[in-house]
Amino acid sequence: MARIAVFGIGNVLTGDDAVGPYVVKVLEARWELPGVEVVDAGTPGLDLTAYFAGLDAAILVDAVKARAAPGELRTYSREDLVKRSPVLAVSPHEPGLREAVMNAEFMGVCPATVRLVGVVAERTDLGCALSPSVQAAVPAAVEQVLSELRALGVAPRPRDPPVEPDLWWEKGRAG
Amino acid sequence: MSKLITIDPVTRIEGHLRIDVEVDGGAVKNAWSSGTMWRGIETILQGRDPRDAWIFTQRICGVCTTVHAIASVRSVENALGLEIPLNAQLIRNLIVTAHTLHDHIVHFYQLSALDWVDVTSALKADPVKAAQLAESISSWPGNSKHELAAVKARLEGFVKAGQMGIFTNGYWGHPAMKLSPEVNLLAVAHYLQALEIQRKANMAVAILGSKTPNIQNLAVGGVANAINLDSPAALNMEKLYQVKTLIDEVATFVQQCYLPDVAAIGGFYPDWFKYGAGVTNYLSVPELPLDEKMSKFDIPGGVLWNGKLELAHKLAGWNDDYLKQNVTESIAHAHYDGAWAKGPWEEDDKPKFAGEWKHETPAPDRYTWVKAPRLEGKPVQVGPLACVLVGLASGHEPTTRWATAAIGAVKAIHKIDLTPAHLHSTLGRHAARAIRAAMMAEMAQKQWKLLVENIGKGDTRIWVDPMANLKPGIYKGVGFHEAPRGTLSHWCVIEADKKGMKLKNYQCVVPSTWNAGPRDASGTLGPYEKSLVGNPIADPKLPLEALRTIHSFDPCLACAIHTVDAEGDEIARVKVL
Repeated sequence: MARIAVFGIGNVLTGDDAVGPYVVKVLEARWELPGVEVVDAGTPGLDLTAYFAGLDAAILVDAVKARAAPGELRTYSREDLVKRSPVLAVSPHEPGLREAVMNAEFMGVCPATVRLVGVVAERTDLGCALSPSVQAAVPAAVEQVLSELRALGVAPRPRDPPVEPDLWWEKGRAG
Repeated sequence: MSKLITIDPVTRIEGHLRIDVEVDGGAVKNAWSSGTMWRGIETILQGRDPRDAWIFTQRICGVCTTVHAIASVRSVENALGLEIPLNAQLIRNLIVTAHTLHDHIVHFYQLSALDWVDVTSALKADPVKAAQLAESISSWPGNSKHELAAVKARLEGFVKAGQMGIFTNGYWGHPAMKLSPEVNLLAVAHYLQALEIQRKANMAVAILGSKTPNIQNLAVGGVANAINLDSPAALNMEKLYQVKTLIDEVATFVQQCYLPDVAAIGGFYPDWFKYGAGVTNYLSVPELPLDEKMSKFDIPGGVLWNGKLELAHKLAGWNDDYLKQNVTESIAHAHYDGAWAKGPWEEDDKPKFAGEWKHETPAPDRYTWVKAPRLEGKPVQVGPLACVLVGLASGHEPTTRWATAAIGAVKAIHKIDLTPAHLHSTLGRHAARAIRAAMMAEMAQKQWKLLVENIGKGDTRIWVDPMANLKPGIYKGVGFHEAPRGTLSHWCVIEADKKGMKLKNYQCVVPSTWNAGPRDASGTLGPYEKSLVGNPIADPKLPLEALRTIHSFDPCLACAIHTVDAEGDEIARVKVL
């Protein structure tokens, strides 16, 4: 049995950067994914390397910058990610997804399959809501993750009955 | 002829740290530290139920998980005057110590060791000689010649493939690299071994916190870990023993590998015990409360001025009014409207961006989003060094013992005599972090024992209801936590009425703000800035030495936006005019 995990990456307090956690919450609420670990990983920096250890495949969902319109999906392979230079790290935040993959490769713990399902962000300033373009992309991003999982031999089943996704950071204020 | 250098990692992360230095004659003459994004997370909290604040603040930063959660519940509890069941204190203490160990290990091996270690030089190492050297330093079992030969082979394969991967931007062959090939090989081996230890520390946090990276077991009033030794669903003996096994393994690594490594590597760079002192005023707050009233702590707090190893002010507990009366933040050189210096409860931030600061140009009057915290109007340094110095000045036995061990290790390996005065330096900060980690490993073991003893007495209380005796009114509180990067404080103002309570104001004064903050109204430099002045810079195109000093603080501007720049080339922008 291959060990597979889906990670939602991003900061839920900064607009569209929440799209990673948002997508995995929807995925968990609507689908049963036998044998797959689903993790809202926040902004783990290099700790992502530690989460990779022991996995055969990792599917990541994150907001991306790319030459494309906000809300467009872009899927990247492990090779796509590591072909560029890593960034100079001044603080523990600079080692991002690409550096975590490279670090895992050096340490010999990189999953054979790493796929990044990227959603092009519109706004990443302070706030607990997705912009409309990114919100509209959520179903397609969920579908993309499901197809990545199917390609790995996973058989997703719709959750019956589905539950509401736990998007606690979007809930209203007291009073 | 002086040159201006900007070190600005062009990352997908907003709000990262940028350093500008003016170099003249091979040394830094002046320096500016800036954070490039407004971190107004506090505004998200206004109007919310204070019992939910910790869930949000925990998300400020995914690297410093747990710390903003701990500080937040303590802040609200302090405002409401709650006493917290002993089990809850001890479970939190265990999470705090395990997280600290994880953080210190990751910082040394993955974020800063490569400032001192030349990975490519390890290719020339003789694994047999390296194993002999290691044996003379420590009894750590991961140093066999077979293990080291395997690491060297892996490194060779990696380099032969023409891919330096994660090491692409390293400073290989830089004249400031001084380790022998054998020590470089040992460091690379331990870099790899540290990953396993990092996972174990994470697992300990996950067992207690129900999850990582974001723990779920906290609550205002205590914790949510039901204690029932006979239930598989609750915190039971089996889970407690899992935690103990993990903590013991991490402790062994810290004491037999991490601390000796810092001594071995540090001794090759004796000059770096002279550079990088900067601001030698220090603040550290009491940590690991041992009773319900929070009147006793396992780690002491206090204030030191001007590098003197004597307590100018002893902080007996979190309710000491000294900090409430003497902490201010200045916005004189930051992107806000106004030029005030106010206490955290009184602050009313109005962000006002003063404009872009072009790389390699003189600093504008307002150059950062980070405020300048001051204690009695003076800059102070926070972090493991502050914690260790306050421990030494307080006569804290485990801190003193591990500091003595570290100084002894440097003498044994390098025949260099260090004193506590050498700790005011770039390498001193690394040494102090390792000393603190060794001390914290003992503390973790101690908290575990206290928790098991207390449960053994039949006490299973974990929570008090903050709403039970709540009267309408305005409540102010502050939550302190001596986090891995130093003193963290969350300041809250709560309004309670018959219907419930809500937050009127919330401010986080984070460790990296104390250290990375800018000049204040009087022009006095912040700790990062001052620590860089006098630093050597051998090659302005590769300002490795500036990174060494900045990394020694373990910077973390808590505002990561991890948008992957999937199609742009990302390199560090280090230009010279």
